[in-house]
Amino acid sequence: MGSWFSTQKVAGYGVAAIAAVLVLYPVYFLLQAAFDVGDPQVRPPTAYGVDNFSSLLQYPQIMLNTLTVSLAATVMALMFGSLMAWILTRTNVPGRRLFEQLMAVPYYLTPLLGALAWSLLGQPESGFINGIWRALGGQGHLIDINTPYGIAWVMALFEGSVAFVMIAALMKSMDPSLEEASQVIGASRIRTIMRITLPLVTPGVLGAAIFVFAEMLGSFAVALVLGLPTRYYVITTAIYQMIQQYPPKIQVAAAMGASLFAVMWAMLYMYRRVVMSGSYVTITGKAFRPRLLDVGRLRYVLLGICLLYLFVAVVLPLATLFFASLQKIATIFPTAENFTLDNFRTAMTMNAVRSALSNSLLLAFGTATIGIVLMGLLAWLIYRSRLPGGGMIEYIVMFPQAVPRLVFAFGLMWAWVVFPIPIYATLWLLLIAYLTVFLPLGVRTIAGVILQIDKSLEECAQMCGASWTFRVRTVTIPLLRPGLVAAWLLLFIASVRELGASILLMGPHSKVITPSIVESWFGTSSELTAALALIQTLVVALAIIVLVAVTRRVSAQPVD
Amino acid sequence: MAELTHGKLTRRRVLKAGTAAIALPFLEIAAPNVLAQGVSKSPTNVLDFMTNADIAKAEQEGQLVFYCHENEAGTAGIMEGFNKDFPKIKTSYVRAQTGALYNKILSERAAGRFDVDVIQLSDIAPAFDFRRKGGYEHYVSPESSAYKKDHLSEPNGYFFWTGVDPAGIAYNSEKVAASDAPKGWKDILDTRWKGKISCKISASGLQFVQWYTLRKIYGDSFWKEFAKLQPRAFDSRVQLFDRLSKGDDMITAIGEYPAYILFKSRGAKVEFVAPPDGLVATPLVVGVVNRAPHPEVSKLFVDWAMSKRGQAWYQSNPNLYYGSVRTDAPAMPTGVKLSDFKLLYPSDWDEYASQSATFLKEWNSMLGL
Repeated sequence: MGSWFSTQKVAGYGVAAIAAVLVLYPVYFLLQAAFDVGDPQVRPPTAYGVDNFSSLLQYPQIMLNTLTVSLAATVMALMFGSLMAWILTRTNVPGRRLFEQLMAVPYYLTPLLGALAWSLLGQPESGFINGIWRALGGQGHLIDINTPYGIAWVMALFEGSVAFVMIAALMKSMDPSLEEASQVIGASRIRTIMRITLPLVTPGVLGAAIFVFAEMLGSFAVALVLGLPTRYYVITTAIYQMIQQYPPKIQVAAAMGASLFAVMWAMLYMYRRVVMSGSYVTITGKAFRPRLLDVGRLRYVLLGICLLYLFVAVVLPLATLFFASLQKIATIFPTAENFTLDNFRTAMTMNAVRSALSNSLLLAFGTATIGIVLMGLLAWLIYRSRLPGGGMIEYIVMFPQAVPRLVFAFGLMWAWVVFPIPIYATLWLLLIAYLTVFLPLGVRTIAGVILQIDKSLEECAQMCGASWTFRVRTVTIPLLRPGLVAAWLLLFIASVRELGASILLMGPHSKVITPSIVESWFGTSSELTAALALIQTLVVALAIIVLVAVTRRVSAQPVD
Repeated sequence: MAELTHGKLTRRRVLKAGTAAIALPFLEIAAPNVLAQGVSKSPTNVLDFMTNADIAKAEQEGQLVFYCHENEAGTAGIMEGFNKDFPKIKTSYVRAQTGALYNKILSERAAGRFDVDVIQLSDIAPAFDFRRKGGYEHYVSPESSAYKKDHLSEPNGYFFWTGVDPAGIAYNSEKVAASDAPKGWKDILDTRWKGKISCKISASGLQFVQWYTLRKIYGDSFWKEFAKLQPRAFDSRVQLFDRLSKGDDMITAIGEYPAYILFKSRGAKVEFVAPPDGLVATPLVVGVVNRAPHPEVSKLFVDWAMSKRGQAWYQSNPNLYYGSVRTDAPAMPTGVKLSDFKLLYPSDWDEYASQSATFLKEWNSMLGL
């Protein structure tokens, strides 16, 4: 008994210590900057005070804009995510396996590309949709993507896919006999959904809600592309302006970021209250065979919803980008002289982009593989171990989610540039940065599944004399396998599309792809950027197809 | 007006800033290298320019690390031009907007990291600051003789103007008839442009120069009137012209000539107006970084960038198209030379730099930030 307990302790505290170092080390530098009121160009700080925090009161409109867009986008993302997750994991809609894989596409298309595509589609003057509208005799414009709700729509489509992944992972692990029992005793399908399905997925949805809201608070690319034309600034775009200008207002940006810690902690506190107040266990010692809900003819309606979602989130943006990439200056009714293949020719010859793409794939593989072990253990530590301090670890782990990555990157840079081991400006630094900033994503995704596993299964094995490592290997991990596979893919995709932290941490020999595409948008043209984006999408798609084929074999192994 | 010079600037107050005495305390790194540069051998001819660099040693070093404010394509373009002439030297770069880039290099140096060979900045204010902090290596290029004193640091050898980015007014010719187009700077204040005019964000060095110079000419009320038009601000000249060419904006108040050439070549319906008072212009400054890990390559790069060959590359690369201030500079792709334009610079760069906080406050406030 004593030996397994010590193994558990060593593993638990070891992983907690790694997480604490990853997070708290850069957070220390960030807080130091937030309280730095001396010369902004001198490090370490020469004077401390709270002036940076009091100056935040100058930006009430920006705070309001941020809350409006983030809330609207979170609500939309949760609606889309829950609906699509339920349709694709719990009903007998035709082609659900294919749709489920396609649902990841908007996420790895990246918000920048989504924003770029929707900008081409929905600008009041030059937008393709409005061009067609006017050609058909309409007046003015049909849609305006530069409004707060236009921004929220694009954020929900391209940042909010994570809600689907999180909710789908836990719906997959849900025992359908509970829903069947409800129907057997006469409850309607709607009543079953409202009384059985929804309450069971509550912690996962809440976790997803908190996570998605934080993601929206930190969303940058969409607000940058779609908000600036109407001078609609949110926190991240305001921070971006502050750190780009000379002299940069990094201290105020750090204070803005640090004040978001309080918001995140409050939300996490609420989440823990909800989770701890009820039981959400659906995987118990009783065996179940996953079965789908037969929704009758309704499945064709649901199929229509799936097709519509994928059309606006995948087909239309990709087609728009492809159409734009074949033109010198993108327009809905191009002339023959406007046609060109030069954008693809130029994109293919950009050496920096080619090496950046392979670096991105390598880093994504490393981040997902190391991350799944680290974050899996952390999730177990927080929700399953009886080790003291588990709750505190959760608060620490959520730190990086609270701060826009543009700002957190400064903390990471200051922290690792003075670190005695020379990892600064190498791919190792980016790996550490990704493992840090994606801790909340990985832990939250895996936690949603862990919460559904009855502790009695592990306790049963324990009573049978199994050691802690044996129990984790033979009981916990097999039960978690679908969730772990989903989390691995999520981390892989999130790493490939990472932007905010990478911009500042890339070294001369450690470039990654998404910042290169952003740079292209800033510096070349939206047409060349569209070509680059399509190439990136194609390469990442091929990588994911291979990975899915491999992971499907892994997840297809039966759970004993 | 009296304080402005057109096409040429005086630098008397600037010179006060760059004393070695001030440089010494900063990181305690400047002095040995400054002194080491005192002795140099006779320049040699390579390709068609003069250099003090030892080519064999440079090729042995084999690497150039370049920090640059320019966009990805532009930075890669500069590296491509150098690498074409010196294929044995590998090039690598980090790019970011001047504010973030400058903070990055200062943070690295404060932590004792010296990985950068050469830096290019888009604003002269941080270049002065870097000079004061002893961040630049002192290297006098033999190609300096082709430059006016105004376009070199004082004393010569810390940085030089690798190009000039001039801007006038640009408009969409499908949305605005030539007869209705603005003719001078005051015409951009017409209320018919309300909500249909663009400018750049406060991070832009050129925008700072425009704010400073036009305020000097037309008074404080100029930008207050401009603010009433609710202009839309963007990061890059490409974004401004992208929107202009598609008709999302009717005019841009800061139409950079390099972007005009680029978009015109693509067939965009845009036109350029050079106001009679002059084009606002900002220099792009390049210098060797103190304690550069590849000193011979650094010297070679600066000589190449200053040379007629390098300047021709800066002027003709589509992602750069910067005008050259070399006295014997060739014409730009449009057939005009930079010297054909009347240019507006701040006459006193020190006073200009001192207005930075006021500019940031006013500009950000105008944009709702």
